[in-house]
Amino acid sequence: MEKQKETQLVLRYGRNVIIAIVIMVAYAFSFNVTQIDLPRLVTDFPKAVPIIRDFMTPDLLARAEQVESYVIDYPVPCGSGQEAAIPTSGPRIVPSQLCSEPKAVITVEGFDLKPNTDVQLRWLLPGDRRLRSAKSTTDAQGYFSAEVEIRPIVAAKDGNVTRLETELQWESGSLFPSETLKITIAKIVETIFMALMATTFACFIAVPISFFGARNIMGRGPIGTVIYYIARTIFNLMRSIEALVMAVMFAIWLGFGQFAGVMAMTVVTIASLSKLFSEAIESIDEGPIEAAVAAGANRLQAIAYAVLPQIIPPFIAFAIYHWDINVRISTIIGFVGGGGIGLQLQTWINQLAYNKAGTAVWAIVIVVIILDNVSSQIRKRLV
Amino acid sequence: MLEIKNVSKVYKDGTRALNNVSFTVQDGEFLVIIGLSGSGKSTLLRCINRLIEPTSGQIILDGTDITAATPTELRQIRRDIGMIFQQFNLVKRSSVMRNVMAGRLGYLNPWLSLLGIFPKEERERARRALETVGIPDKANNRADVLSGGQQQRVGIARALMQEPKLLLADEPVSALDPATSHSVLKYIEEINQASNVTILCSLHFLSLARTYATRIIALKDGIMMFDGGPDEINEKRFKEIYGEDAVRV
Amino acid sequence: MPESNNSDAAQSPRLSSAPWLAAALSLPIPGLGQTLLGAMGRGASIFLAVAISIAIILWQDLASLFSLIAFIWLWNIWDAYSLARGTTRSFLPPLFATLIVVYVSGWIITEIEPDKLFGQADRAAPIARGMLSPDFAEQESESRKERGAFEVHCSNNPPPTTTTRNDGATITLSSSCGEVDDTLLVEGNGFWPNLETEIWWANPIGQEQRLTKAGEQISITTDDQGAFTVEIVVPLAIPLSHDTGEPQPHAVQINQTRIIGGWQISENGWLVIEKMGETIAIALVATSFAIFFAIPLSFVAARNLMSSNPIMLLVYYVVRTILNIVRSVESLIIAIVFVVWVGLGPFAGVMALTIHSIAALGKLYSEQVENIDFGPIEAIRTTGANWWQIVAYAVLPQVVPPFLAFTIYRWDINVRMSTILGFVGGGGIGFLIVQWQRLAQWEAIGAAFWSIMIIVALLDYVSAKARERLV
Repeated sequence: MEKQKETQLVLRYGRNVIIAIVIMVAYAFSFNVTQIDLPRLVTDFPKAVPIIRDFMTPDLLARAEQVESYVIDYPVPCGSGQEAAIPTSGPRIVPSQLCSEPKAVITVEGFDLKPNTDVQLRWLLPGDRRLRSAKSTTDAQGYFSAEVEIRPIVAAKDGNVTRLETELQWESGSLFPSETLKITIAKIVETIFMALMATTFACFIAVPISFFGARNIMGRGPIGTVIYYIARTIFNLMRSIEALVMAVMFAIWLGFGQFAGVMAMTVVTIASLSKLFSEAIESIDEGPIEAAVAAGANRLQAIAYAVLPQIIPPFIAFAIYHWDINVRISTIIGFVGGGGIGLQLQTWINQLAYNKAGTAVWAIVIVVIILDNVSSQIRKRLV
Repeated sequence: MLEIKNVSKVYKDGTRALNNVSFTVQDGEFLVIIGLSGSGKSTLLRCINRLIEPTSGQIILDGTDITAATPTELRQIRRDIGMIFQQFNLVKRSSVMRNVMAGRLGYLNPWLSLLGIFPKEERERARRALETVGIPDKANNRADVLSGGQQQRVGIARALMQEPKLLLADEPVSALDPATSHSVLKYIEEINQASNVTILCSLHFLSLARTYATRIIALKDGIMMFDGGPDEINEKRFKEIYGEDAVRV
Repeated sequence: MPESNNSDAAQSPRLSSAPWLAAALSLPIPGLGQTLLGAMGRGASIFLAVAISIAIILWQDLASLFSLIAFIWLWNIWDAYSLARGTTRSFLPPLFATLIVVYVSGWIITEIEPDKLFGQADRAAPIARGMLSPDFAEQESESRKERGAFEVHCSNNPPPTTTTRNDGATITLSSSCGEVDDTLLVEGNGFWPNLETEIWWANPIGQEQRLTKAGEQISITTDDQGAFTVEIVVPLAIPLSHDTGEPQPHAVQINQTRIIGGWQISENGWLVIEKMGETIAIALVATSFAIFFAIPLSFVAARNLMSSNPIMLLVYYVVRTILNIVRSVESLIIAIVFVVWVGLGPFAGVMALTIHSIAALGKLYSEQVENIDFGPIEAIRTTGANWWQIVAYAVLPQVVPPFLAFTIYRWDINVRMSTILGFVGGGGIGFLIVQWQRLAQWEAIGAAFWSIMIIVALLDYVSAKARERLV
């Protein structure tokens, strides 16, 4: 007796040691293959700074751009055209020479312009071409001065004189939603609808097939039991595929776009909802069915009064829960061709437009948090 | 008049739940069936409305052989037999009203009842039934917000909707505390006396049985051990029914 | 609720005595009459239904659906009138109208085209075939290609009609030279017996094409002695524009492949195994990292431990908010940042999953901390223990089993997630899947697909069992 106990103790000890070794080997293997390199997190942090900063400063609002421009004729070389008449008061642009030879350097001054504003000088060449020249900023009195080199290309051509444009540009007016924000909102709504359509389609299919996966319905005969096990196995296998992996295939089948994403989510949701639905069917209370039958109800009445009221609320609760999950998934399903905000997000990321991408990410965060709360509230009231 | 003739029930696994049980119940009786758990009380009650098919024997209600009825006839007969359950058997998520209305399903047009459309007089009947059991104000509550005693009263109201000749009560109070048990049994007694409804009620406690019954039947391992008035059970009979170690409560 | 009474309406005696006024209030602003009658939820729902429907219709330019809005609007006026008179109408008709608006526009917005499912079934066929014949294992085999020379445009010295190969196999052509479209009888002897054999044509620059007859690829089976006879037509294997009329050395080619060994894992199969291992490893490491951060965070994010003074309460709210925000960003998006940060590879995936898991686990853990029984805490506190001692003696023993259960659950989810991290360069099997998608290697994707299904389902089952034992 004592000896047996001792053997048992040794066996248990041995088992624990083996488990510990297995775990240690698993970790050693995992660390090795995942190429963990924690110091890089610090050393390469500068690489992450711009993207994180841009993510944190989403492109939400913009102001209307206002432009004011002054244009004067500027003959190069002198005599190739009429020289400009310069006003003596009011906002005006004054070049140090009213005409010049190529390669000369002149000073361009501006007086009484809009104060503290960016100034861009440009040559308007004959034939509608533009050549950027110096940049400056006006001071508090609206004065600026800039040195400009006359490049040979500025020369007059076929009797047409080059003109010198001075453009003042500033932002004004009230803030309004930026183009990025508008696109993001449209795509987010699209995304919510993708999740809604996928969940709805999945419900139509999951409701009937979930009965095959309910033991209390199928477990009455050998054939039913076999169907039950087959159905449950299929649900479990299909459930373990991420919608994104499905989307890889549907994107080829149906072309890149929302429809592929909807179908990929539908397939995964069918499996997942069928399993949840069949568990809801399994957990119904048989008592009310007995009561209805005892009162003389026929089969249909018993289902309507004793079965449906028990399964409809959990069905709706699970469907809403899955809609919530699908909204999360549809925010990324665009990465593999599934449409929605994910596709837009990827486009912006590929363009390295991280503050636009940040707008999309924040929109996703807000929508997911709101839906999460709403859906859990509704579920609480249903169940 | 309900006649039980040589009824036996053998389950698939070979358990003999009822062994050649025979007795007759006169209209207006309050018959209590006592016995230990597993003595066959529930099986006997369920054989009467054929929720469980008896293996052999006959059950005759007012001259109609229930055991020989076709499914359609059976539904007609079941309308006349109300039933109350140990676990109440309410749909917890449905309203009290809808639960009570379920008792009327055997009378209602099946299609309209599926849509949840009820004639005005049926709604009135449901309201009266709830009044009878003292909870008219709970009609629109969900069943699961009610206390256990109130839920069983909804169960009684549901049985009342059938306007039954016979009321089967399967351990109606064993999920309730003693005070509530009495109040529920009082409602059943009232139905028995006011509407002359025959009651077949299974109970656990002898004391409750002796308070309410006009007649007591005792089952042990599917065999009828006793049939007589509530006062006829003495210490010897008690030990026969409940076993040597039992203590009276 | 068709038969519900309405005690709500009774609360506003003035409006309920003037049903027309209630109706008039609901005319400009849907739901206003109902709201003022005390049916707040009803009024708000009606307003939201109308507002959302109109917004969607205007955005998608679906003017034809305006009749439904008109219907909801009219119903709302009637409902306000009825409500004031004490009858609550069934809300099913406007609900249906709203649902029609939502689903019609949803159908259009998401570009649902069911006919594509069948119309483009030809695109799905290779995918389906790939799924059904995953390239995970193969049988070791050897193949042979034997050629018999044939000249298009006969020279003075055409090649021999019979070619003998090293192992004694012979190919005999009915003629060893001729013109395009000539019929040729090919006899083979001494080939591998009882084997499906393909007939190909090799042109002078070595390009091979499989010969067809009436659009079908020719395929023959050798007999017991390894002999066969087949009739072929000389194909146009050199474009006419390149035909100078000079004799061209073509050849008839016999292809045979036979299985010589047992099943073994194919090259793609090994890749799948390697990357599945990486996938599971990413999940394991990320989950382990996350535990270290999530446990301390969970105590800070538990209201019952943090409500003793305003500063702690503030910390609680800040931590909770951050956890909620991070949790709602998919790890795939976080992975993008880490791919830029630490470069392509599994490490980026590990870090992304870690961040997401910290938030998810932190929330689950903190809920457990909030659900703990206060009895033991009180008992320890009465002994004069400080905060740390209370946590160690009264809180930890209660939370460790559920913590473990959630951790296993999270690992399970992380394995699923790490199957897709490769889509953005975060390592794991997803990397192979996108690559193979671009190359249309559906058999290989099939192998990946089945491995994911079986391994994830298995882990799911194991983790469910483990959690059952813990809780």
